Amino acid sequence: MTEFWQSVARGLGNGSIYALLALGFVIIYKSTRVVSFAQPAFMLAGAVLVTYLAAEVNFFLALVLSALAVALLALGVERVTVRPMVGKPVFVVAIITLGLDIVIRVIVNGFIGLDVRQVGDPWGLQTVNLLGVPVQQRYLAMLLTTALMVAALFAFFRYTRFGLAMRAAAFDQETALAQGVPVGAVFATSWAMAGGLAAVAGVLVGSGASVDQNLWIIALKALPAIILGGLDSLGGAVAGGLAVGLVESLVGTYQADLAPWLGQNFAVVSPYVLMLLVLLMKPYGLFGTPEVERV
Amino acid sequence: MTALLERGGRRGRRPRGRPLLHTSYKQDMALLDTPGKRRWLSALLVIAVLAPFMLTDDILQLLAVGFVASIGAIGLNIVTGYAGQISLGHAFFLAIGAYTAAAVSGDPDGKVIGFGVTSILVWLPLAGLAAALAGVIVAPLATRLRGLYLAIVTLGLVFLGEHIFKEWDSLTGGPGVGRPSAVPELFGIRLDEAGAYSKEQKLYLLMLVMLVLFAVLARNLMRSRVGRAFAAVRDRDIAAAIIGVDLRRYKLLAFAISSFYAGVAGALMYTVAGYFDPGSFNLLLSVQFIAMILIGGVATVSGSIMGAMFITLLPRITRELPGVLPFISSESKDTPNVFQVETVLYGLLIIIFLILEPRGLFGIWTRIRNYWKAWPFSY
Amino acid sequence: MKSRIGAVLTAGVLTVSVSGCGVFRGDEDSSAPGVTKDACPNAVNKNNGCIYLGAISDLTVGPFKTLAVPITEAQKAFWKRVNQQGGIGGYDIDVTKYVRDNKYNPETHNQVYQEIKGKVLALAQTLGSPTTAAIIKDLKSSKIVAAPASWTSAWNFEDVILESGASYCIESMNAIDYAVETFKPKSVMAVHYAGDYGADAAAGAKAGAAAQKLTFNAIETPQGQDNQGRAVDAIVKGKPDLVILTTGPTDAATVIGQAAARGYKGRYIGTSPSWNKGLLKSPAAPAIKAQYLQSAPWAPFQTQTPGHQAMRQALGQVDPNDGYTSGWVWSYPLKAALQKAAANKELTRDGLLKAVKQITQVDYEGMMPTGSGNFAGDAGTGAVRTSLIAKPDDKEQTGVKVIKEAFTGPTAKAYTLDAPCFGKL
Repeated sequence: MTEFWQSVARGLGNGSIYALLALGFVIIYKSTRVVSFAQPAFMLAGAVLVTYLAAEVNFFLALVLSALAVALLALGVERVTVRPMVGKPVFVVAIITLGLDIVIRVIVNGFIGLDVRQVGDPWGLQTVNLLGVPVQQRYLAMLLTTALMVAALFAFFRYTRFGLAMRAAAFDQETALAQGVPVGAVFATSWAMAGGLAAVAGVLVGSGASVDQNLWIIALKALPAIILGGLDSLGGAVAGGLAVGLVESLVGTYQADLAPWLGQNFAVVSPYVLMLLVLLMKPYGLFGTPEVERV
Repeated sequence: MTALLERGGRRGRRPRGRPLLHTSYKQDMALLDTPGKRRWLSALLVIAVLAPFMLTDDILQLLAVGFVASIGAIGLNIVTGYAGQISLGHAFFLAIGAYTAAAVSGDPDGKVIGFGVTSILVWLPLAGLAAALAGVIVAPLATRLRGLYLAIVTLGLVFLGEHIFKEWDSLTGGPGVGRPSAVPELFGIRLDEAGAYSKEQKLYLLMLVMLVLFAVLARNLMRSRVGRAFAAVRDRDIAAAIIGVDLRRYKLLAFAISSFYAGVAGALMYTVAGYFDPGSFNLLLSVQFIAMILIGGVATVSGSIMGAMFITLLPRITRELPGVLPFISSESKDTPNVFQVETVLYGLLIIIFLILEPRGLFGIWTRIRNYWKAWPFSY
Repeated sequence: MKSRIGAVLTAGVLTVSVSGCGVFRGDEDSSAPGVTKDACPNAVNKNNGCIYLGAISDLTVGPFKTLAVPITEAQKAFWKRVNQQGGIGGYDIDVTKYVRDNKYNPETHNQVYQEIKGKVLALAQTLGSPTTAAIIKDLKSSKIVAAPASWTSAWNFEDVILESGASYCIESMNAIDYAVETFKPKSVMAVHYAGDYGADAAAGAKAGAAAQKLTFNAIETPQGQDNQGRAVDAIVKGKPDLVILTTGPTDAATVIGQAAARGYKGRYIGTSPSWNKGLLKSPAAPAIKAQYLQSAPWAPFQTQTPGHQAMRQALGQVDPNDGYTSGWVWSYPLKAALQKAAANKELTRDGLLKAVKQITQVDYEGMMPTGSGNFAGDAGTGAVRTSLIAKPDDKEQTGVKVIKEAFTGPTAKAYTLDAPCFGKL
């Protein structure tokens, strides 16, 4: 049974990273209707920045600074490359973000150097006993950080004026604009938030482990998560991320014994299978808004 | 109007000196509807046919890859540009074509599955059909899903496919090991071995012929009843359904045709290098094809070709560019160095290009054409 | 307005590209490509002619960039030293002009290879197995000799490939023999990536385990730190006495660290690409120091052999990394081949390939055991079968200290190499 609970803990830990990444995708999608492929690069940038900052300041301060810096970077990138594309086909913008991803990653890779780098997290590989199950602290840290960020985000959207403006803009851009919502600022903020979230996710991946230039690949795991949860649902992104993490971890633990015919490492693609199954029943994901067709 | 339509049965004559005045429906729907198109296309074809005797082998090889990529891009444009179903699953269909062709033509005594039928006339249609079949199986998803949901679900297909191909060692050789690609043999002549002409010259001509064939096919298809149905589905699927377009049927058809093209492209693509690895059929490949049709121009055959050539030639161009900037270090340990600049340029050029001209190369072409059409009164 | 900018931009780009390189047929010199009477750019010996060698490596966004960059730099230093010693047969060697980035993609690799093919005599480096596989047919038909930058056992079977050191397969056999000799494991598990790298080593481990009568099982693991859960589960559940680890460094640290956190106390021996000195600062460092040993084809950066000393001197002030060592060692056979070809007065592709088949031994200046580098015989006799074992050590420059000098274990000695190992897993 220990094995099961450890697998669950790992799944929720990794899942919360996917959730953070998925939130970034969804926030950008809601405000601009674009899937941003630049998220992997922001994630890598955040992790690498912390490896430099951690030598100077406390880890948590470094985490916050890095998230802010990457948010600023994302904001700038949005202003220069994505803003001119407002009203243009969304897939053109998606390919632009892909170009951005390449550019940013090449530059960040230049700062990684020849050796793997450390984010300098305080918990490392220590474990704590949780109801008799030894659980790694890093998974708890991941879960806790994500919970905090999600709570803050929900409070922001629920209780602040600008959060309301963002929701309004996501609901109907033109009407929001007519009501005096600064839609441009909404775009910029959504990119900044997504950048910050990706940076935090990147640092969490590097905690208890190391950072190298292949870290970015993890961000792709958020794609099945956002579809699973529904592209335009923040809660769905969190649920989707956690579900992807859990399924992946449990499949990894048990599939080799229960269904070896699926091939080694079926766990890697299991989120996509889950996604396909869910979509067969709910075409807009678990929590997505069904598109209303006006004829 | 009715008079014009009545005369449409016979070939309508154009008034002298007014080449752009169409006097029949047939003229309006002609494959090459203006004399300009006819002239330019014949000139381009002549150049393309002469090229293998003028250009060096490495450029020819690059162009040959570009031609094959064009076939794949036309295929993607059929489902995405014409029929409006955004598919990120193109790499999966390319893979099916590539593996079908490689297996059919492969060495029966080799380490991987092979049946030894090397004639291109056998394996090419088979590759297309196998991929088309996969398309038909996937298509029902498209009747349930729209837009980005469909895009990411088809992306899931790529990941599942990658998993299967990596695991299926006896077919694919396994990741990092790979297998030989399809053997191109036409009427007993091996096209991938040097003879009187170099292998690059032969392959180039093969790919050129294939491209012309499939481009004309696509162009014809799109001005037929099927093509108009696709456009109706794309523009407003509910309206299309109301006027009697069977959505399920046409989405199925779009996926099948598109996948057929992808299968053919996949089968031909790797004959150039003679080898391929199951890791090649990933998200990046799919996205490259999307980039091709966006950069070229959505829902145009010539745009697909331009976009495919652009994306194929771009890395080569960016490799030459740092040469004119001698102050950039060529030492790979320095930052920035030429290799980083080259990769950054690849991304940057795509970005700049799409920002300046979101309608793609075809859009630029249209503007240039319109500018000169109205010259000197263009403003 | 905007479209015109775009058009001008495109036109500019195209002009540059067309003018920048020879695109027209008939201007190639077919007699001996890559060998010129003119001096090299920035030549050491102005009166010498020039031999151009190509290098195709993973220099920007690919997964092996951190090894590829030092490999490439070490090779530049190596050939510069050769030039300073007077060059070969009246020629200087240039490895700087035709360096290309393959982004670890077979198609890109093939394209850049085609681009430089007509201008180089041989390849000083072709990095990666799937990438090299994409050009090997052409290498053979064009008789271009190439030094690889990977250790798969497939290279033992290719005449045009000038491999150095033991393959992953042999290295893992030796790792198991070493373990049996020192701490007597009863069970072995190979945790490995798929394909030419991981499967090659795992196949060697399997052969080693069979020869030593140990229980064996193999766990294939994907790349990515978040994907190592299954491997960790398998190790913790199976409790093997020895794990043969063939992954990248970050994944290795993840596996070792997390298995240790869950109470696994067995030993690991990892192949050389699983190591990076940065791991000594990672959270997994205590576990790595306690449980991990590294098997390697040759001694690390800081070793005191004439070859190592020459390398350090030639490189000057660099951050020590065994990528440099590898790049340097991989260059010796090509140097020997060029010298032989020059002695035969046949500095052409044909002549070079002929020269390669006459080499029975390469002078590695002490970096490899005497007798290494036999390219005259078949795969079995030619394959190098020595490896060494190192342990992590903070005080050493690349973080590892050799604890067992080059040796050939009984398994590797007896093994008949009749096909690439990775097919036998």
